[in-house]
Amino acid sequence: MSQPTNQPKWTALLAKHETVLLAVILVEILLFQNLGRNFLAGSNVSNIFRHSVEIGLLALVMTPVILTGGIDLSLGSMMGLCAVVFGLLVKQYDVSPWLAAVAAISLGAFGGMGNAFLITRMNLPPLIVTLGTFSLFRGLAEALTKGSEAYSGFPQGFLNLGNANVLGLPAQLWVFFLVTLLVWLLVHRTVWGRSLQAIGFAPQGARYAGISVERNTGMAYILAGAIAGLAAVILVARLGEARANVGIGYELLAITAVVLGGTSIFGGSGSISGTLLGFVAIAILNNGLSRITAHQIFDQPVSSVSRELSGMLTGMLLLLALAAGVLLKSLATRRARRQSLVTTTNPTPST
Amino acid sequence: MKTITRVLPLFLTCIAAVSMVGCKPKTATGEGEKLTIGLLPKSKGNQYFVTCEKGARLAADELGAELLFDGPTNTDPAKQNEIVENWISLGVDVIAAACENKDGISTALKKAQQAGIKVVTYDADAQPDARSFFVNQATAQGIGDELMNTAAKLTGGKGEFAIITATLTAANTNEWIKYIKERQAAMYPEMTLVEVKPCDDQKDKAQQETTNLLSAYPNLKAVIAVCSPGVPGAAEAVKQAGKAGQVKVLGLGLPSENKAYVKEGVTQAVVLWKVEDLGYLTVQVAAALAEGKLQPGATEFDGGKLGKLEIKGDNVLLGKPFVFTKENIDQFDF
Repeated sequence: MSQPTNQPKWTALLAKHETVLLAVILVEILLFQNLGRNFLAGSNVSNIFRHSVEIGLLALVMTPVILTGGIDLSLGSMMGLCAVVFGLLVKQYDVSPWLAAVAAISLGAFGGMGNAFLITRMNLPPLIVTLGTFSLFRGLAEALTKGSEAYSGFPQGFLNLGNANVLGLPAQLWVFFLVTLLVWLLVHRTVWGRSLQAIGFAPQGARYAGISVERNTGMAYILAGAIAGLAAVILVARLGEARANVGIGYELLAITAVVLGGTSIFGGSGSISGTLLGFVAIAILNNGLSRITAHQIFDQPVSSVSRELSGMLTGMLLLLALAAGVLLKSLATRRARRQSLVTTTNPTPST
Repeated sequence: MKTITRVLPLFLTCIAAVSMVGCKPKTATGEGEKLTIGLLPKSKGNQYFVTCEKGARLAADELGAELLFDGPTNTDPAKQNEIVENWISLGVDVIAAACENKDGISTALKKAQQAGIKVVTYDADAQPDARSFFVNQATAQGIGDELMNTAAKLTGGKGEFAIITATLTAANTNEWIKYIKERQAAMYPEMTLVEVKPCDDQKDKAQQETTNLLSAYPNLKAVIAVCSPGVPGAAEAVKQAGKAGQVKVLGLGLPSENKAYVKEGVTQAVVLWKVEDLGYLTVQVAAALAEGKLQPGATEFDGGKLGKLEIKGDNVLLGKPFVFTKENIDQFDF
């Protein structure tokens, strides 16, 4: 049986998860441009990314973790811990903010190493391990600050990282681009990255293929921890304040972005490009709703219930995008099968 | 994996396109000359701020202004900043903020000022250079005086009284206690303060401490609680000791938390400001500032239905606290 080569290209393109997401993003932009006030103003476009870079960073590094079939629930708490240690170093021990940033990133990597050890060496399930460190890291952060202390008054040069523009874009967005490139290269252009998909697809098979499953899986958690530390530093620079409750719930939004981006929650398949699109879809939704001032819903202006709505809509978007992806894929395969059937039962009459 | 090469450029073009469109000169707010006010609560679900909003809407309707009310729904400290920054790009005329994290929010409020947006604070202040005026719901002296006056009125100006406080180190409660003592010394010489007990902001502890006080001082005439869990705590102790009405209970707290005890006659008075008026005044001040009717250095403010109010430095004062009693407490639901 010959492969159907005459399958129309557009169905193949439509079936791609990324295309669905791009369409969602375009619809969002068109919708908010028409309903929202100053949605496409330069300062707001900056805001969209300025306010979500931390979640984007977590989503990027959550992707390799989920590719292995794992999960990391501790990243938001890790941000809290790294932020507090960062603040403590700068304000109490007079360490330069840049050096303290390196320390925060190292601490994140170290925490990730803890997760990795428990998951790969002790063979504990990632969900349980990171649920434990989720409480542990946040608890440590709260203990260090006695739950109420906050550090502020950082030098302006450091605050610029969170608030200034560089070449017309928010400074932290450039950091995000760099990390995106790094993670993309790691996941899609290295042996390590490819091994993650193999591990997620079939850990035993990967082991028989000679892949060091423990080492490679562990690396994903360490990378995630380190970037969570970086996200914490950026968030502190944006707020001008380090306190124990920063980053609460960010890990769940990151997971949402990853899954929305088409990465299988069971591991084995997924892409950084999908995660990026999933992240942008969420970021735009969060921002756009707060700009609809002239319309009413639940007897209130949309802008004043935007936070409640964005929670609901993010959930619906996730479910709809997943359903649409499955639907289009089955549509495409059915069409392909029918066509291959047509070609085999009706062989071209020879003349 | 292969799709990245196709999608990444698309994604980047997307950002570039969005940014480029954004470079158009900013259009006017599009709502004609209508003043837009952003009112930021500490948290949105809190009944206290819902009541604030009610007053704020009333003022906005009187002034014909557009009121945006938005605040965090969880404890994420980044949310207040994000809302302010979104309002900046939305093009509001004035922002009124109740600050959860003084230093954190000040970063965003200063950005708003740089963008030419007027800023006032209410309920909880920001750094002084991050706003023009603070709408102060009650000064420490106002609270201290009112508590002492009410205690004296209830006891006939004679006898022993005790104070339940949050902790012995909390700056705000110590300030109130200082003014209670000053007022007592100046106006009510026949009253004596026997003890100040901390309750760690816990109702149970307040109840326990009050029970101890009742047995240690059989002639005790009144208990003043200067922290909100202390009022129902003290009331429960007095009720269980069977001394309701005999030992007066009063303090600083929310009417809703004390309604049951007030109606039973255990608690005689709850002192607080009218929260709805705080929201009303905040919007009045914000609008006047944005329209240039209120300038720094002013000493008096025309607060609409609230009449003429005093401005002390850069604090607009809501005035004397309000005393909630059995007669009026049913009208309030915060």
